[in-house]
Amino acid sequence: MTQKDGLREIPFRPSRRQIVSGIASLGVLTGGGVRHAFGQAPKRVPIPEGDFVALPIAIPNFVAGTPADAEVGAGVTQVITNNLKRSGLFNPIDPAAYIEHITNIDTAPQFANWKTINAQALVTGRMTRQPDGRLKAEFRLWDVATGQQLTGQQYFTSPEYWRRIAHIISDQIYERLTGEKGYFDSRVVFVDESGPALRRVKRLALMDQDGANVRYLTKGSDLVLTPRFSPSTQEITYMEFGQGDPRVYLLNIETGQREIVGNFPGMSFSPRFSPDGQRIVMSLQQGGNSNLFVMDLRSKSTTRLTDTPAIDTSPSYAPDGSRLCFESDRGGKPQIYVMPAAGGPAQRISFGDGSYSTPVWSPRGDYIAFTKQGGGQFSIGIIKPDGSGERILTSSFHNEGPTFAPNGRVLMFFRDPGGNDGASLFTVDISGRFEQRVPTPGFASDPAWSPLLS
Amino acid sequence: MKVKVDKTLVASVALHVLVIGWGLVSFSSKAFESMPEESLPVDVISADQLAHVTAGMKTGKKENPKPLAEKVAEARPVDDAVGKISEKPPVVTDASPPPTPKVEEKPVEKKPDPPKPVAEAKPKEEPKPIEKKPDPPKVDPIAEALKKEEKKPPPKPVAQAAPPQPPKPKTERSFDQTKIAALLDKRDPTRQAIAGDTLNSNAALGLSHGKAADNSATWGTMFQSQVERCWKKPFGGIESQNPEIVFDIRLKRDGTLEGAPIPEGTPATPYLRVYQESALRAIIECQPYNLPAAYFDEWKYFAPVFTDHKT
Repeated sequence: MTQKDGLREIPFRPSRRQIVSGIASLGVLTGGGVRHAFGQAPKRVPIPEGDFVALPIAIPNFVAGTPADAEVGAGVTQVITNNLKRSGLFNPIDPAAYIEHITNIDTAPQFANWKTINAQALVTGRMTRQPDGRLKAEFRLWDVATGQQLTGQQYFTSPEYWRRIAHIISDQIYERLTGEKGYFDSRVVFVDESGPALRRVKRLALMDQDGANVRYLTKGSDLVLTPRFSPSTQEITYMEFGQGDPRVYLLNIETGQREIVGNFPGMSFSPRFSPDGQRIVMSLQQGGNSNLFVMDLRSKSTTRLTDTPAIDTSPSYAPDGSRLCFESDRGGKPQIYVMPAAGGPAQRISFGDGSYSTPVWSPRGDYIAFTKQGGGQFSIGIIKPDGSGERILTSSFHNEGPTFAPNGRVLMFFRDPGGNDGASLFTVDISGRFEQRVPTPGFASDPAWSPLLS
Repeated sequence: MKVKVDKTLVASVALHVLVIGWGLVSFSSKAFESMPEESLPVDVISADQLAHVTAGMKTGKKENPKPLAEKVAEARPVDDAVGKISEKPPVVTDASPPPTPKVEEKPVEKKPDPPKPVAEAKPKEEPKPIEKKPDPPKVDPIAEALKKEEKKPPPKPVAQAAPPQPPKPKTERSFDQTKIAALLDKRDPTRQAIAGDTLNSNAALGLSHGKAADNSATWGTMFQSQVERCWKKPFGGIESQNPEIVFDIRLKRDGTLEGAPIPEGTPATPYLRVYQESALRAIIECQPYNLPAAYFDEWKYFAPVFTDHKT
């Protein structure tokens, strides 16, 4: 009876807890998460997302198909681990924590062993030297929670390109787990600097995006600046101080063949390819001013794009080739402008304090990166092509020359600490969260990221 | 040369060194650890919103299939379940002609309060015999009394008429505020016992807690904080992609999944697919869930919505 008496009270007097939970649940109700509290459809419970957390991933050493392949297996694993870690989006788990030793990639791993160490993704792979001398690389990407294989591929290559295979596998993993295109199978051309501060030797150099396989493209007798990759061919364009005025050159990185772009009076500088690789847009000096010109590489015909009594420079095409962004001091201080690719009225998009320079359009088209000078600092930032959404990613004594990774998610730039020390290369993602130094043999500046190689 | 050493000075220095040294060691230990408390989302709401939350729902689940019954007897419906139970209906009927009409009689005529929603859900198959009984006598005595009063004056105009009659109309016309209390019905409200074939003390047919049955804020927050430990949200860039990924999940009493979570809909973009997979991983990885057993009926089957909409 006492129980019944207790029950009788409930309908008329909601307990304090019920009132509190009722109040709290109102947040849920008014939030629109609940469209139907009862009925057939289950109750909707919103899980608002928290902060981004790097994905814990286990990458045990690739299995050696033959005993001789153990070294390359470990090397590929190391490159993949390094790539994913440097992206800032993955948290490779220390191999010392692994419980299971992968010996055969053709059977499913014991996922419980990988759950224990909190891995959410697992990469298994095998490197096998083929009888014909080629190298066979296989990998599988597993979802540890569901036990599903997310992706798997096999590749054949010459043994000397094992790093490239590792980059391609990294891209596959990155793309499958982030939903974005990868950028690891790409290269960077930059200006390698060596020697004392007053007599720096500057050479053009080429390397993988992770700093490996450095190759020098020029001997260092002449000063080189602002190298730029062709989006479609194995060519770079750059500015070189030769005997007279600085000139824009074109260099084939496979053959080493070099040629001057156009034959203009005065200096030509800050060249960049059009998205189809058929044209080069650059600045030509005319007295105290400079204007933008575009030159067709086949017909060698030159078209003037701007005609102002100001310094217009650093042009960069939108990925669809319809527009150009460039730097101009026509408003007093250097600012970023956008105009149609064929010339026409330019629209200023940067309005912050300080001056803006070296604009470069993202391969995705969504942002323009720039160097901003103000307040005694140089910052690298991004801004939308319509002038909104300006975002400073990193600031220091001297940062300059941003260049986008092929997926438009990461920027590389150079940072000069001042004094006798030279510049070094850094990457930063477009959220500004993950900043990394890129290893180079010496000092390095003016990086330019290539498109994806494959 | 002999140096005179003051013993008290030495003792003082030694003591100071000891105390300060001990203080350095003992106070430099780590700060006390404070366990972070789990937080609950709190919203400030208006009384109106609270009423909305606690309001009953006609479409709600019927928790008590039987109607309220306080007494085993022939089923008898009730209009109002408020008030003291009395065995007999208190019908005050005074057929005898009163010298002055009593004010207290009038409230008898008053019908009880309009029926409350509680009563609506109850079967009303039977008529209301008790309620109607008092009606005829109520009307009659007054009518009779009036008739008698009308009749009375003509026969006795001389003897009694002069003093009592003038004040009578006065009391009716003049309104004395101080005597309002006299007009009130001072009896306790009474009603009939609600009879049924079996006893049932639950007054309502629906759930006992109205819309407040939605305790999802309580266990939903617990589920959220637990699933978040395992959720490695993919990085979607700096622009919000407004993901909203829904799963239907069924949990067992021990907090483990009864089956694989069923995603609602197919993600439209690669990022949303990755987002969905990451949420699925989190749900699977973080089981068993420690949720209040009292609300098992609510969380045994629900749909977590993974979203970046801040609610």
